[in-house]
Amino acid sequence: MENINLKIARVQKGLSQQELADLCEVTRQTIGLIEKGKYNPTLNLCVKIATVLSLTLNDLFWDEN
Amino acid sequence: MKTKDKKPFLNVDERNRQVTLRIIAIMYFVTIISMQFILIYRQFALGQEIQNFEDIAIITTVNSLFLISALLYFGAIPIRKLEIKSILLIYALIVAMGSAFTFVKYNLVRSPGLTFRDLFDKLIIVYAVTGIIMVFFVLFSFLGKRKMEKELE
Repeated sequence: MENINLKIARVQKGLSQQELADLCEVTRQTIGLIEKGKYNPTLNLCVKIATVLSLTLNDLFWDEN
Repeated sequence: MKTKDKKPFLNVDERNRQVTLRIIAIMYFVTIISMQFILIYRQFALGQEIQNFEDIAIITTVNSLFLISALLYFGAIPIRKLEIKSILLIYALIVAMGSAFTFVKYNLVRSPGLTFRDLFDKLIIVYAVTGIIMVFFVLFSFLGKRKMEKELE
């Protein structure tokens, strides 16, 4: 399932996938696949992404539906 | 926004590592299974003696032993308690299967079969080798369990 929350948060922060990837020390493909919902990141990476975007894990990875 | 000048080492991140490890595991499995089939083919279809494929036999045996030991040591195979009763039961099961296989191989497939004395000599080897393997596995299970307990302390 596509992770819209992450995509919106990234765009709101004014970051490209490559920039977010560099900040999280992963490849652009990994960020792309997380946004597409085709890769489940480890908790460590989730925390890293949340820290970079100054959000909580709930904001990024919790789906109310 | 300016990004830090930080790149993953050799551009490899957790996803790349996961994919690589998954592919390595699959290819390892395929290789070992293929080698087992080669062994069976050479032994039973071509009727070759063990001396002709001793190298492959040693590689597959050592590989399997270390694979199972590593799985036990690193906690991939869940073991709640190391009980003498269960260990003996597993030993008895393996010995029973080994004995049946030895009997089929030397007395049913071949004609004339081995004498009782010769068959007994072969079975002693089965019991001893199974025992050594079991000790090996129990030791690694014990060490793995101890390591895990230490990490949890």
